[in-house]
Amino acid sequence: MPKDLFKTRLEIAKSKISNRNLHKDKKPPSSIGTAFKLSTELVSAVLVGTIIGFILDNTFGTKPWLILTFFFVGVVAGIINVFRSAKNMQK
Amino acid sequence: MATNPMHQFEVYRIGPEIKLGTIDISFTNASLFMVISSLAIILIFNLGSKKNSLLPSKVQLLTELSYTFVSKMISDTAGSKAKPYFAFIFSLFMFVLFCNMFGMIPYAFTVTSHIIVTFILASFIFVAVTIIGFMKHGLGYLKLFVPSGVPAVLLPLIVVIEIISYLSRPVSLSVRLFANMMAGHTMMKVFGGFVISLGIVGGWLPLSFSVALTGLEILVAFLQAYVFAILTCIYLNDALNLHH
Repeated sequence: MPKDLFKTRLEIAKSKISNRNLHKDKKPPSSIGTAFKLSTELVSAVLVGTIIGFILDNTFGTKPWLILTFFFVGVVAGIINVFRSAKNMQK
Repeated sequence: MATNPMHQFEVYRIGPEIKLGTIDISFTNASLFMVISSLAIILIFNLGSKKNSLLPSKVQLLTELSYTFVSKMISDTAGSKAKPYFAFIFSLFMFVLFCNMFGMIPYAFTVTSHIIVTFILASFIFVAVTIIGFMKHGLGYLKLFVPSGVPAVLLPLIVVIEIISYLSRPVSLSVRLFANMMAGHTMMKVFGGFVISLGIVGGWLPLSFSVALTGLEILVAFLQAYVFAILTCIYLNDALNLHH
């Protein structure tokens, strides 16, 4: 078989495989892995928000207010995080 | 205190004390197991890629399988643009996987059950991804924090929320791996302690639990390494293909 012919055939086969992979509904290999993901998503955002509030409170001397505000902002961010990763899971 | 379930996470010094200024950089059991897992990775992948026979040996099969596994994972989640980062993600996945798996050997130390280890890994990824994003898009990367179609009144609040959500990535990445590993190993130790304390009469039930838990822990060890790597891919994807 000539080399060129082989090359074109290889290309065709390769594109066929990639097309097949593209159209296959993309199911993640393990849904447990993505399920584990959700649990920490919420907690970490709350934690980061609270830490930011704590640091800002210490620098500006507005003791309870910024930590309270950023705690709730963190909660919102956490809920958004969870929504986003849930959306990613459905894709 | 062999019955204390947290005893297994103790870090102790091996060999002489080395100090760099005020920082203690002595060689500990944690460093020993990191070295062991790195050496095991290097050994297995060197053996597997030394002789490329058409009929692969078991080691070669393992290497090629893991190569295609990681390569497919990257192209599925981050697209073809992420190909240059293959080496980094592959070594990251292998390191976490080997650390988790070496922790499954009795009397071994699980490096990834310490939050400082996972947090350093995660924050390295975080910093690297941020730098890559700024390199690829310049200041346009900041658009990640400004979702389109938001009313101007809500914008300051949304930006703050987005920044917190972005900053929470390394925390959630590290806490997930650390918490899973630590909880699993503690649980195994607790059930092992039940076997001893209940003796030959009632010890069979916790023993069977222990066996099941060991299987579960091996699954978790693999899964957490997989999740760690796939999330790195997702973050990389965000940095490379900016769309929100």
